[in-house]
Amino acid sequence: MVIDLHGPGLWYATRAAGLVTLLLLTLSVLLGVMTAGRFSSERWPRFLTVGLHRNLSLLVLVFLTLHVGTTVLDEFVSIPVIAVFVPFAASYKTFWLGLGAIASDLLLALLATSLLRDRLGYRSWRMVHWFAYACWPIGLAHGLGIGTDRATTWVFALTVACAAAVAAAASWRLVTAVRVGAR
Amino acid sequence: MTGPTLAAHRSPELRLPRLLAGISYYDIASLRDHEQRYGPLPLWGGSGRRRPGRLIDVVEASGLTGRGGGGFPTGRKMRSVAAGAGPAVVVANGAEGEPASGKDRLLLTRMPHLVLDGITLAAYAVRARTAYLCIHGQEIELRDALEDALAQRRAVDLDPVPIQLRGIPGRYVASEQSAIVQYLGGGPAKPTFAPPRPHQRGVRGKPTLVNNVETLAHLALIARFGDRWFRGAGLPSAPGSALVTVSGAVRRPGVYEIELGTPAGRVVTTAGGPAERPAALLVGGYFGAWLPAESGWRVPMCHAALKAAGGAMGAGIVVVLPGSSCGLAETARVIRYLADENAGQCGPCVFGLPALADALADLAYHGGRGRAVERVAALAGLVDGRGGCRHPDGAVQLVRSALRAFGADARWHDQRGPCPRVARAPLLPVPGDTDWDWA
Repeated sequence: MVIDLHGPGLWYATRAAGLVTLLLLTLSVLLGVMTAGRFSSERWPRFLTVGLHRNLSLLVLVFLTLHVGTTVLDEFVSIPVIAVFVPFAASYKTFWLGLGAIASDLLLALLATSLLRDRLGYRSWRMVHWFAYACWPIGLAHGLGIGTDRATTWVFALTVACAAAVAAAASWRLVTAVRVGAR
Repeated sequence: MTGPTLAAHRSPELRLPRLLAGISYYDIASLRDHEQRYGPLPLWGGSGRRRPGRLIDVVEASGLTGRGGGGFPTGRKMRSVAAGAGPAVVVANGAEGEPASGKDRLLLTRMPHLVLDGITLAAYAVRARTAYLCIHGQEIELRDALEDALAQRRAVDLDPVPIQLRGIPGRYVASEQSAIVQYLGGGPAKPTFAPPRPHQRGVRGKPTLVNNVETLAHLALIARFGDRWFRGAGLPSAPGSALVTVSGAVRRPGVYEIELGTPAGRVVTTAGGPAERPAALLVGGYFGAWLPAESGWRVPMCHAALKAAGGAMGAGIVVVLPGSSCGLAETARVIRYLADENAGQCGPCVFGLPALADALADLAYHGGRGRAVERVAALAGLVDGRGGCRHPDGAVQLVRSALRAFGADARWHDQRGPCPRVARAPLLPVPGDTDWDWA
């Protein structure tokens, strides 16, 4: 495969991968919330939630890598490799790119601790996993601030739908947690 | 072979339009449209007469000067880049920084192939191996359109040196040439100290030719029709045509092509004439100057005459201030914008411009108990000529011209408080008003 560095191909790939990342990350957060809330029914056993959550999260990383890789390779704006990991190190749209770097750093931390979960112990793993709740809104804000297609109706609608879904899941989780606590 | 000529351009009464000859209100000119109108990109390759140095001779003979604001002779700049050590770089600056200017955007969105021809010719003349076209990074539709135009050219192998599209941050100082050069080299988009100038040490240390996109569009026509044709419009001392953006209290605001040396008043007439009684003209943009309506009307639009009038040609901006607007309030808003837009590198910008903006806002909106005019003038003197780039100097030039053009107004404000006209809706565009894109 030949990657054309002098054309809009990489730019389109970046935008597409970014949107898919948002969608998958949202699904992964939803499944994560369901796992934590011990959601299950007759037709949806718990192992399904857990398994989907794990596999979708790995898929998030695949598309995130695509998103970040094509962004750095696309030479239209100069974004140094260091800015991928170090927040606010880019001179182009420093703030919004910085949010993206923070979100992907958090995601990497989630990945690393999940891979090492057996060695870390449940409590420390759980603590780091709370960062997922920070990672998702920061990633969302990154997309809203810098996304090429943020102004198009369908992308905006998609973003709002993602936000609504996570808000609904989070309130479900809060309500069940309170109920469990009260019992 | 003699190059193709536009028949219309031979007749003195039909000397213009040149750059805007094929402009369409809605459509972007395709490569075919462009070649039908102006003829194919003249081949300056090969042997004999059409050597790289010969193209520079023609440009020098044409008297073309930079249309981005500096007004430096283009041929001389090309010659020093060509003479520099190592492979050269060509940078086309299409990241129009002046909020009141729309000409570069018009060229890029309507006739991109004039600009792209110019880049290729410039790269040929200075034997460059790298060529960039810089636009604002957030201009998504423009990027799409230019990628399309470049693809049309790649399909027929038109540009020996591939033209690379680059997006730069959309800030006022980011489109200054040393800022672009530093950004293309991987650094921040902030101006650097000069010398060394870009033509000596530019992108990654290579000799770099930075030209405004309008300048390159003129180059594309000079290479086709020659230097004598180019001199057929304008003044002997300032030949050729230029694009100007006319706005404010005029009946038909927009971008117009004028012959250099056309009096500012006639430019306003071209744009439909004043929409109400004019009080002053802002000529040259935010680094230009206010000229009182009566005297400004007759000032020829060219670098020398405008400099003599205390202003600058800049990027060819004319804004008509109506008598019902307060020139001091307008200036205060612009200076505040310029102060906010500084790169945060030198004292005059970090401390001087905000203080100047405060003093001017006091004068315009609060009155000064008889001391504000003096304070504004004193601060202007402290800032002038002390920055690393020309950013503070440009702001000071505008302030001083405001004190001259609105002298009576300023004294009135100083002694009696703001005039009733400060309540009028702002006239001059300041991007921060609407743009929340603060990163």
